Amino acid sequence: MKAKFIYIAALASLAITPTSCEKVSPQGVLMAGTDVEDRVEMSYLYYKLNNIESKLDIDLHEVEDGYSFLVGADSHMTTDPGRTQEMLQIGLDNDDLFYCHLGDIADTKAEYYVALENTIDEARMKYIDKYYYYDYDDNFYFRKGMTNPTPRTWDGIKYPFFPVVGNHDLTHNGWALWSNIFGSSFYEFQIQVGKDENGPYFDHFIFLDTASGTLGKKQVDMIEQGVLDGVSRYRFTFVFSHTNIFRPEAVQFSSTFTREETYFLLDQFNKWNASIVFCGHVHAWDERLYNGVYYFSLDSMSERNSPKPGDYLLRIIINKDGEIEYERVRMNYVAKK
Amino acid sequence: MKKKFVLLFVLAMSAISGMAQASYIPYKTFDGEHKNEASGYIMYGNSVICDRFGGLEGSYVRHLTPRWHVGGDMQMQFVKRLFSIDARGGYRLPIKFGNVYFTGKIMFCDYAKWGFTEWDFNLSALWESAYVDLILGESIIHYHSRAWEMGFGYTEPLTLTFGFGANIRHRNNPWNVGIFFRNYDDFYYENWNINWGFRWYARLNEQFRLFGEFNVRPAGSMSQLASRYEGSMKVGLKYKW
Repeated sequence: MKAKFIYIAALASLAITPTSCEKVSPQGVLMAGTDVEDRVEMSYLYYKLNNIESKLDIDLHEVEDGYSFLVGADSHMTTDPGRTQEMLQIGLDNDDLFYCHLGDIADTKAEYYVALENTIDEARMKYIDKYYYYDYDDNFYFRKGMTNPTPRTWDGIKYPFFPVVGNHDLTHNGWALWSNIFGSSFYEFQIQVGKDENGPYFDHFIFLDTASGTLGKKQVDMIEQGVLDGVSRYRFTFVFSHTNIFRPEAVQFSSTFTREETYFLLDQFNKWNASIVFCGHVHAWDERLYNGVYYFSLDSMSERNSPKPGDYLLRIIINKDGEIEYERVRMNYVAKK
Repeated sequence: MKKKFVLLFVLAMSAISGMAQASYIPYKTFDGEHKNEASGYIMYGNSVICDRFGGLEGSYVRHLTPRWHVGGDMQMQFVKRLFSIDARGGYRLPIKFGNVYFTGKIMFCDYAKWGFTEWDFNLSALWESAYVDLILGESIIHYHSRAWEMGFGYTEPLTLTFGFGANIRHRNNPWNVGIFFRNYDDFYYENWNINWGFRWYARLNEQFRLFGEFNVRPAGSMSQLASRYEGSMKVGLKYKW
């Protein structure tokens, strides 16, 4: 009788588990509030309707002699935008071609996303100011130094910030906030980086929605159908995922992929001939090389998780000879007390 | 911090509820009299990674003494193209409230669909009482790709194994229904994807018992976004003599 009572009490306590904590969603241990299938379906539609490449003002001469891009992870931004501002400023100062974020960009709360959107808007203004000029005769913006630049309106200029979605972006139904700013959690784009006797060739960038710890049925199907394969000749392929493949240490209790999905993804990275796979989620630096594929897991750049200055960002440099180098980039911002 | 909170929550729930029982692993609930157990089940499920799939499983256990046992299990899952085989041995320690089983297991899995093979080594302790089970252990998981030209092998850091659940009736009853939560199943160990579900058994006579299980296997439990990954059902028959 006593055992039955305890059993019922435990079930009841599971059912009424508090959900008000802003970072934690305990009921999500067993059931999710956001469905990966819905996200992928929405993202794919958005991605098809908003061709990213057509908005990227990148001239071949900007990249054929080499280029770099910056990667950060797990900023868990609240109302303090310090580290996010720092990342975007570092990218701007270094002339990185674009900036990628590996998810958990902000903890889900409306005011955090307002602060995030303001931060990105400010960085975008600086970016446009640095790389574009306004032609008062045509009433359009044009990219500086570009051969035959595409005329752009203010809103038509693509700020080259490419995030994947993380689990903390979604707890407490945060997808509406995240997608309102970034649109799609599942997409790919390519950049022409050269031309030879066989025609142009490209570098390929693939962004997966792994926030739920699974790709979901639709994303698996689309990957198997080759939706993310691209249609060009690729020199390098880079894959971005929030959930990590490899656990650096036994004490890290974050959810990784299920066994089958781990093998599916490793096999898929091989099929894509990936050069680097970038992961976040685990809040720990880790680098591995398996079968010619580099796997990087990044530390959290959040001022709360990593309060001291440190090398939380990663810069990938593709040099003139077509070799890939990387460097870890220091962040110095310390939260105000 | 958040992960610690969730971990504490899960462990606290197990302690508060006291409703632990690992799955109805057929070789448990030893009655101290029979020497041999043979069982098998069929399974049917739906998974994100391969849609619908089915499977067959068979097990055998030999009780060498009332305390020591050895056994083995084998399964095939169709569509997923998964083959698994294991060998295990254990010691039963009677205590005031039930039994504690110390078990070692070595398992091989072939995930042919993606060209990966896996070796698992598990040590665990299962406390089994009248209504409640609790299992804790550690697993070493090594996998290897044989499909790639260069191939590669990787050994994961130690993976904690845990499970808990409860019966609605005393374990000695001829039929029973229970619930379970665990981060493993008969043929895999995982890092914090928390399965949950229902199971039952019905004793047909002294030798035969029907048993079954409905298992919800999400992904992303510790990301607090537990999402649909796989659901499966098992129905089996156990014979002891």
